[in-house]
Amino acid sequence: MDMEELFNPESIAIVGASAKPGKIGYSIMRNLVEYGYEGSIYPINIKGGEMTIKDRKFKVYKSVLDVPGKIDMAVVAVPAAHVPQVVDECGRKGVKVLPIISSGFGELGEEGKRIEQQLVEKARGYGMRVIGPNIFGVVYTPSKLNATFGPTDIIPGKLAFISQSGALGIALMGWTILEKIGLSALVSIGNKSDVDDADLLDYLEKDKNTEAILIYMEGIKDGRKFMQSAKRVSRKKPIVVIKAGRSERGARAVASHTGSLAGADRIYTAAFEQTGVLRAFSISEAFDWGRALSNLPEPQGDNVVIITNGGGVGVMATDACEEEGLKLYDNLEELKVFANYMPPFGSYKNPVDLTGMATAAEYEGALKTALAHPEMHAVVVLCCQTAILDAKDLADVLINAYTESGRKKPLVVAMVGGTEFREAINVLNENGIPTYPEPERAIGSIAALYRWHNWKTKEQVWRRP
Amino acid sequence: MKEEALEVIERALSQGRSSLVEYEAKRVLKAYGLPIPEEKLVENPDEAVEYANEIGYPVVLKLMSPQILHKSDAKVVALNVGTDEDLRKAWKEIHNNAKKYKDDAEIIGVLVAPMLKPGKEIIVGVTKDPQFGHALMFGLGGIFVEILKDVTFRIIPIEEKDAWEMIKNIKGYPILTGARGEPPADLEAIVDIMLRVSRLVRELESYIKEMDLNPVFVYPRGEGAAVVDARIILENH
Repeated sequence: MDMEELFNPESIAIVGASAKPGKIGYSIMRNLVEYGYEGSIYPINIKGGEMTIKDRKFKVYKSVLDVPGKIDMAVVAVPAAHVPQVVDECGRKGVKVLPIISSGFGELGEEGKRIEQQLVEKARGYGMRVIGPNIFGVVYTPSKLNATFGPTDIIPGKLAFISQSGALGIALMGWTILEKIGLSALVSIGNKSDVDDADLLDYLEKDKNTEAILIYMEGIKDGRKFMQSAKRVSRKKPIVVIKAGRSERGARAVASHTGSLAGADRIYTAAFEQTGVLRAFSISEAFDWGRALSNLPEPQGDNVVIITNGGGVGVMATDACEEEGLKLYDNLEELKVFANYMPPFGSYKNPVDLTGMATAAEYEGALKTALAHPEMHAVVVLCCQTAILDAKDLADVLINAYTESGRKKPLVVAMVGGTEFREAINVLNENGIPTYPEPERAIGSIAALYRWHNWKTKEQVWRRP
Repeated sequence: MKEEALEVIERALSQGRSSLVEYEAKRVLKAYGLPIPEEKLVENPDEAVEYANEIGYPVVLKLMSPQILHKSDAKVVALNVGTDEDLRKAWKEIHNNAKKYKDDAEIIGVLVAPMLKPGKEIIVGVTKDPQFGHALMFGLGGIFVEILKDVTFRIIPIEEKDAWEMIKNIKGYPILTGARGEPPADLEAIVDIMLRVSRLVRELESYIKEMDLNPVFVYPRGEGAAVVDARIILENH
């Protein structure tokens, strides 16, 4: 199934476009214009005339059928009652994909589901794919496409985000901006009447701008279809799922012992484990992992090295490694080299403690050493705010050292401190080095990378115990 | 193997039943090569005595009735029966208990089986999820499953890799590998059971709704396993 037009449309119609701020049809127009979409934009509104959005003048068409050129994608933002007619007109016009923003369908109950299904059948008859209904739109940063009524300035990156929830999805759009999380795509799939998680996974698997996929999921209709896609995609790109509704269906009538133990959530867990999907249990965890997975290369071995300026965070990180099953590199002969970057009372035992005397220069030396050492496969840099450590300098040396090394090994950073440190975290994240305000979150994220890597390896070569 | 299993299932369905009694469930399992102990369904005490002498005492008697799914609740199982005389006594007792439990319970017969030597108890089960279809469950038996719910699931079909992972995923895994100086359990036998159940369910997908192999005794490495009790709930046809 081809969904090229959802991500790279050459022309877009906004059905229900408006020049009035506060209207959904306005927000979508504004986002398309402001985010710099370069294809043709056709506002459609029964009133016709002209409209000006951010100093750009548009002719308004009364129907997609009046538009002179072809339309790849039509974003539908009219009241539910008008949607069937719009679907017909779009079909006749030869539109390829139809994100239906409008709500008032399957989410209302059986009758809504029936109407929704009729729309899908109608669309299929024209060879058109439906996204939604009940969605907030689509973003694809490589084609400067922001066809949503959410925030505008999505940061380009390599993480694709699929959201079943509308309100939470929009909220998280804003959150990714604040947290400096770069996205390749963001697709709101709402009621999933036609295009579902599996269809998008199939597309994103081949999308060269996407390195990792994050799904906010409430439920899936066809579990087998999802598993088939997820298992294939996981062999190439990591998938993180945050699955809401863990407590559903507590009291299903079952006759067997097994049935009584098998709440829906355990079945989801099983399906995720079988297909290499990483399950996150909170929003911050999901995006922490997504940040690492979309930016970092796979590790070439198990040995993790922690470089720190504080014993406390070092111990906390060690505990987290233990819990996550990560292996701290422990060849003392080789670790001795770190003594060059610490005072005599420092400790080169892993976690390598540069001590509170460390400045950006010591971090630079230690990081370069770790990145160059053939037996050190992944690096965790921890820093506590001190009087002599300049956060900005530190961010600079870390970015330079990592870039010079060719970014061949996974590197995560945790910076614990105040305002200056927070700014440095943003700078590091903007430069593609996953950086967190707490050591456990850094470890958790690199552990997610290892879990996916290990699953993938096991898929390729598995030996009977 | 499918034909043999189907024959048992079709017969139960034709009688308007939605579950198989232990004897039938075990025939279905046996058709797929699962380790079912030698046992026989008999209709009268003389036959029971004859078979008990053939396999040697002690034996177990289990009364088979489509209306009695929970045999221990109804007290229709007699364990460790040692002599001809004890057997005849037990025969009467389990029939009386069945009547007390459910007056009009239809009795298919009595299963006579050897008293198995105890092994590590495990449970292997199947459930059907509306979105994912059939899933396989594995756990340690007894209190581990009852109280701790220490079980793990995989969607069917499973691969051998999945079966090994399931075994290792449960918290009680060290109990199987030989905790406190006990010999390690026959993990290969458990894997074999899981793979066979997966195959069975795949081939009989439209008939099977849920299934419990509970308990299964697992013996020390190299000595195999035995399905002690089994239950199959059928899909309404």
